[in-house]
Amino acid sequence: MEQEVKDLRRLVIKAFHMNRVVEGGENKVTADGLMTVNRSCIPEILKEEPLIEDIAVNIIPPGEHDRWTNTIMDIIPISTKVLGKLGEGITHTLTGVYLVLTGVDTEGKQTHEFGSSEGNLKEKLFLNRAGTPSEEDYIISFDVTLKAGMGQERPGPMAAHRACDKFLQLFREQLKKMKGELCTERHEYHDVARQGKKKVVIIKQVAGQGAMYDTWLFPKEPSGVEGGHSIIDMGNMPIVLTPNEYRDGMIRSMQ
Amino acid sequence: MGIGPSTKETTLHHFRDPLLDVVSADEDLDLLGVIVVGTPDDNEDKILVGTRAAVMAECMRADGVIISSDGWGNSDVDYANTCEQLGIRGIPVTGLKFSGVNGGFVVENRYLSGIKDMNKSEEGIETCVVGENNVTELDARKVTAMLKLKMRQAK
Repeated sequence: MEQEVKDLRRLVIKAFHMNRVVEGGENKVTADGLMTVNRSCIPEILKEEPLIEDIAVNIIPPGEHDRWTNTIMDIIPISTKVLGKLGEGITHTLTGVYLVLTGVDTEGKQTHEFGSSEGNLKEKLFLNRAGTPSEEDYIISFDVTLKAGMGQERPGPMAAHRACDKFLQLFREQLKKMKGELCTERHEYHDVARQGKKKVVIIKQVAGQGAMYDTWLFPKEPSGVEGGHSIIDMGNMPIVLTPNEYRDGMIRSMQ
Repeated sequence: MGIGPSTKETTLHHFRDPLLDVVSADEDLDLLGVIVVGTPDDNEDKILVGTRAAVMAECMRADGVIISSDGWGNSDVDYANTCEQLGIRGIPVTGLKFSGVNGGFVVENRYLSGIKDMNKSEEGIETCVVGENNVTELDARKVTAMLKLKMRQAK
């Protein structure tokens, strides 16, 4: 059969590489590869999150993983929508730096579901996977201490994810305004219908049973929280995403 | 049981998922979409949502399905049922799931022959090392190749 390829839509992801992430006077990210992180925004975030006792923000440079970590709840890319909605248009993302969200409560109860990963970070994080930083990447450690007894109740971890999202939004707003031509990588993805070829569906079976076992979809920002919906609240029913929606950060892993 | 640190797919994993990259780049395949389905607590609900996913794939006129899960244990009930529901609809299925030495299917049926173990640890266990047993590009290539074979045989 004659093959016809129908182009449905285009997604462009422009990456801006960070060469250096350091503590500085403000939370700032620039296209020349320098990111500065400052904790001064944390008290403001804490005011809105009564379930959180404290948040520690630390920069972990590449190779300096010989240190304590609370259980890793999630690893999150820093991305923002510049044009269009998730799955089409233009997205800006940072490379060279990823946020690692960790959690514990004031009684020392780790925020985990089935098995937890607290301990020495160099023994608890397998680098260079699709879902983990590479050995050359900086890590921003966003370590949340929840109020007593909130470490494993659904509202606790949700508050941690929300707080971390508010923190990242400070960088997303700057990333949005970066000149596209200054990007260090440009990837173009097309949703295509390859008519006449074998039709295949991917099914992703995801968490949907409660605290640290939840998956959110449809956030406003790529890999974000705000605006998202929990698959638990949607009855765990199947939902179809286009390939580009999926790769544009439509899923937030709340495990 | 549920999702352990070494199998859990982080938000970063979903953002750069090797399974999606491999399948969408394959010019022999027409990737219709990605169905995301949850894993409820209740047994009847487990059967319901997985069956709806299979019905969805049928209505999309899928010739084949690749199913992947980062959990194991009670979510095997969901997984095995979805495979069975695809199977009885005549849709070939391959997929990835953690088994190792202690995560073999807690329920089984005749439609699981294309499911590959994504364990990477030497001991075959949930190591509690984040990312260690995650799906890699090689896993994705294997199940994609297996699905192509199954779809040819199904003709």
